[in-house]
Amino acid sequence: MNQPLLKVENLSKHFGDAGAPVRAVDGVSFEIARGETLGLVGESGCGKTSLVRTLLRLNAPTAGTAELDGADIAHARGRALRDMRRKMQVVFQDPYQSLNPRMRVDRLIAEPWALHPDVLPRAQRPAEIARLLVAVGLRPEHALRYPGEFSGGQRQRLGIARALALNPALLVCDEPVSALDVSVQAQVINLLATLRRERNLAMLFVAHDLAVVRHVSDRVMVMYLGKIIESGPTQAIFNRASHPYTQALLSAVPTPDPTQRGRRKRIVLQGDLPSPSNPPSGCRFRTRCWKATELCAREAPELMARGNDPTLLTACHYAEPIGVSTN
Amino acid sequence: MSLLDIRDLAVSFGTEAGRIQALAGVSFSLERGEVLALLGESGSGKSVTAAAIMDLVPNPPGAVDRGAIIFDGIDLLALPPRQRRDLCGARIALIFQDALASLNPVYSVGWQIGEMFRIHQKKTGAEVQAAVIDLLEAVGIPDAARRADQYPHQFSGGMRQRIMIAMAVALSPDIIIADEPTTALDVTIQAQIVDLLATVRQRSGAGMIFITHDLGVVAELADRVAVMYAGRIVETASVFELFATPQHPYSQGLLASQPRVDVETPDLVPIPGSAPNPAALPSGCAFRTRCPRAQDLCAEVEPLLAVAGQGRQVACHFPGAFA
Repeated sequence: MNQPLLKVENLSKHFGDAGAPVRAVDGVSFEIARGETLGLVGESGCGKTSLVRTLLRLNAPTAGTAELDGADIAHARGRALRDMRRKMQVVFQDPYQSLNPRMRVDRLIAEPWALHPDVLPRAQRPAEIARLLVAVGLRPEHALRYPGEFSGGQRQRLGIARALALNPALLVCDEPVSALDVSVQAQVINLLATLRRERNLAMLFVAHDLAVVRHVSDRVMVMYLGKIIESGPTQAIFNRASHPYTQALLSAVPTPDPTQRGRRKRIVLQGDLPSPSNPPSGCRFRTRCWKATELCAREAPELMARGNDPTLLTACHYAEPIGVSTN
Repeated sequence: MSLLDIRDLAVSFGTEAGRIQALAGVSFSLERGEVLALLGESGSGKSVTAAAIMDLVPNPPGAVDRGAIIFDGIDLLALPPRQRRDLCGARIALIFQDALASLNPVYSVGWQIGEMFRIHQKKTGAEVQAAVIDLLEAVGIPDAARRADQYPHQFSGGMRQRIMIAMAVALSPDIIIADEPTTALDVTIQAQIVDLLATVRQRSGAGMIFITHDLGVVAELADRVAVMYAGRIVETASVFELFATPQHPYSQGLLASQPRVDVETPDLVPIPGSAPNPAALPSGCAFRTRCPRAQDLCAEVEPLLAVAGQGRQVACHFPGAFA
């Protein structure tokens, strides 16, 4: 039981020619425990989606391993592969594209059972469909409708109901609420929190909205240019982030409180993201970092505990929470 | 007299499901140097408001049914199309969400910005070139002289939005309308653009209508806020009053459903249900089907925007603090 549910070691995914590959994911290691929600944040092009696709085995990794419940994701075959897919389900970003518009809701939700018939005897399926619909806040009679008859938030609920049909241990949520309006977004966030509690679901929650990630996650990792640059318990990341990039990211989020206007110190990053096919030597963030020295160009900083907190891992030679000292 | 005064503006669109009312009588005003945020979710009528001001409502299927748009004393809806276009083109500027789609891919950005000067100010040659480079520098594009000759695809998303802002401020307009200008951008780039818009506003003294669904950006930039729902304004207030003491249950719901990054958020309280189908709005108050305070009266009589304190207006039969 102490074994992590998902264990990722040195995972890399490179695209393109071997001479100058695009290093979308480059030597990433992390774990997710049973029932734990791990938030993954980073900006466009940081490698979030490539990492997720590799974990779901929609991409083959270039190097490294990912194990779900002890089974190697990249090399599972036959029964082991089916078993792995059953344990790991996904909720996509766009509820308009991820549901077949010509499939009635009961068939949509039952589809996973066609591939995994041993999960639930046929006779029990209609009752389970009704239970799943209720669990995600819809009504049993919705089983007879088509996706086009639902709003965006309701469609996302359908996607979640389908992901739950196989009773997975890990739910991979790739920007599950970013296509939804604020008022509806909160409904789906609350739903995920409830389901997680009731079913002891582990989640990998990928999002660019840091406020949402703070609200749902137990732990958070931050990616930049294919690498994890900081990870730790949610409290530590949001209160004592020690990597300059995490600090810049957090300082950039606008606060929904006009009385704070102009009071917060915002760190404005210079320049744009470098090309992932030709990343800077040493630390990849150094070209935009105000702390960078010659050491950063020479030596890539390792992801490790740098301060008093052994759970906060930071990949920076000059890691330090903000406010400790500035020069 | 206000810089812009919109009175009872109504816009509808013909659809297969019948005619839908995208704007059902919207009134607000904008002063010089003021940033007014139009805050609302998809389908609330924010962008249609901008389109109506700029005469960009596609007709058919859309039509402005009634109302007045009074800009600097002139009713735009009463002007002949040609005159209206000249006036709007020079004095009201629009910044769109999707900068890539708003720039022409086959012309250099310098040429496209130069169009503003060639068409409206009849400038030519070196004069245009110098003005373009000044502008690009003012919006923070490094190496402006060289980059003016590049094409839109050679710029990042944030840089393209800077180019859109350069075009918008080129003629020193009286009003800048920004329609979700930061929504497609990453958070660190969004912060840069919000800063740039704040600077532009300070430098130019133009009035700004800022259309967004993002409460954080509203709190950073706006002086006053108009909250929209189902084609209506349901509340207007100063940004401080709105965030401190929202009066309309929808405004309250929006604020309660927003997690925060700077502090631990207690449980989120979502607004139940989803936005109504615009072809089949509830009778009376459009929000009543999702409202915790709805009573019989709300189904019978549509609440109109009424004064609720200094500079505040609320469209609700039972406004006030949440009990």
